[in-house]
Amino acid sequence: MGARLAAASGLNATLAWSGEALAAEAARADAMPARGALHGVPVAVKDNIVTVEQPSTCGSRILAGYVSPFNATVVERLRGAGALIACKTNLDEFAMGSSTEHSAYGRVLHPLDPERVPGGSSGGSAALVAAGVVPAALGSETGGSVRQPASFCGIVGIKPTYGRVSRYGLVAFGSSLDCVSVFGRTVSDAEGVLAVISGLDPLDPTTADRPPLEPQSPPASLAGTTIGIPREYFPADLHSGVKAACDSVIATMKELGAKVVDLSLPHAGYAVPTYYIIAPAEAAANLARFDGARYGARQPADGDVRALYRATRGKGFGAEVRRRILVGTYVLSAGYHDAYYNRAQAARARIAEDFTRAFASGVSYLFTPTTPTPAFKAGEKTDDPVAMYLADIFVCSANLAGLPALSIPIGRFEGLPVGGQLMAPPFAEAGMLAAAALLERHLDSTREVSP
Amino acid sequence: MSVSAKDVARVARLAELAVDDTELPALTAQMDRIVSFVAQLGALQDLDGAGTFLAGPERSPLRADVVNPAPLARPPAAIAPEFVDGFFVVPRLGAMEGSGAFGRRPLRWARGSPRPAA
Repeated sequence: MGARLAAASGLNATLAWSGEALAAEAARADAMPARGALHGVPVAVKDNIVTVEQPSTCGSRILAGYVSPFNATVVERLRGAGALIACKTNLDEFAMGSSTEHSAYGRVLHPLDPERVPGGSSGGSAALVAAGVVPAALGSETGGSVRQPASFCGIVGIKPTYGRVSRYGLVAFGSSLDCVSVFGRTVSDAEGVLAVISGLDPLDPTTADRPPLEPQSPPASLAGTTIGIPREYFPADLHSGVKAACDSVIATMKELGAKVVDLSLPHAGYAVPTYYIIAPAEAAANLARFDGARYGARQPADGDVRALYRATRGKGFGAEVRRRILVGTYVLSAGYHDAYYNRAQAARARIAEDFTRAFASGVSYLFTPTTPTPAFKAGEKTDDPVAMYLADIFVCSANLAGLPALSIPIGRFEGLPVGGQLMAPPFAEAGMLAAAALLERHLDSTREVSP
Repeated sequence: MSVSAKDVARVARLAELAVDDTELPALTAQMDRIVSFVAQLGALQDLDGAGTFLAGPERSPLRADVVNPAPLARPPAAIAPEFVDGFFVVPRLGAMEGSGAFGRRPLRWARGSPRPAA
């Protein structure tokens, strides 16, 4: 394991790991009285999920060297099942970004093309799974931060229903949106980890009182399954390679016996602006705690305690986090609250209703592209924040509506992976994963598509 | 331009975020780009009566009314800058007050410490 992590160091995907810690993890798992479901399986963990044995920096200077006094619930559950915490992984600072270029510890490289980005914000976890270093990894989603990098890197990414997995120990970004999410080489690898970490947690009152996820074996066919194709996700200017890969999946679904129907989610076009009001508003409140008095680095300042806060936050946060805190504070401030924040709350309700109506009409799952294009080049979108935000156009609706969704690799265009997305009704993960596992068997995900 | 440099400076103050005068023009342009982009929600006509969507379970499950131990992974001494005889050592109250953090008139001495000679 250590050798594989060392060999992958050029990706800049890891923030904290050591051979000694890995040996201690292995010894701990071997000493367990019974073999758990993930006995000996190394799992990488995004650095905004707190661990006692490694620092948790969230990719930020403001938390440089911070070590949590407790483990996140998901970390406790992984270890309880015999998994080894392999390393902490690089991310966009405080999970804000879509390319993992916004880390205080440098950008993460795409494993297939070092000039490109792995997606984000969970880019470090995605790159390690795609490079074959670990079979599975934890990421987190606020607006697509696992499905989007899974699509760019050619692996599986699953975002569970909001409330399926405990957020205790996940450093808060947008509390009404945040979900611990999972990467795997295959649907089965990712599902095994999701099953272990899911379930009610008394330490997170937003977890649902339901039994943990039970993996199902894939069905023989998709007979009796209706797949909805929302037309707003297939605009006329959709990337030709992405469109060709999706068309071939739709053909495979029909061959497997699924009924495929065209439908409309009329508010889909408003998801990105809605998200970029609600998420920054929640982030501005959540990140108020990083002030130099309680956590991490402190910037000395002349004057009163507010000068200390301002100096610490001004120096400690990177450009994207500062922008989001400022936008979030702006949309919540007197005079703008009704026009922005309240409007976005209402739009979020309409976006969620669109999904409820679609599923009530008899649709089992929705199928869409995961991203508008394959992985883009580093630096391509860093000068225009809105261009970067639009990379999340197909993924952030599921976060706004609290729905489970996943991305699976469905082909390659000019050598770069293309991902397809399934979205399901709340808590319908098991069926969605079984359908994805069946599709995975019938798709050659490394096949070059021809538009 | 819907966001001015003055707006950005005001919001930065509200957010307790130091912003350098030199970075203000670029930051204002980016803020204006983002705020103009999200303002397209103004075009939505059907938001009356939409209510608010809340993700998560309809009701929070209640915990049993018992006190469970919540042990720390490492002792308080390991996470505090200074810990002596079971107590966290913090700056003297007077030192903080003298910094101007609590009121305009700085105190000359901390309560309980010897008075300075007149």
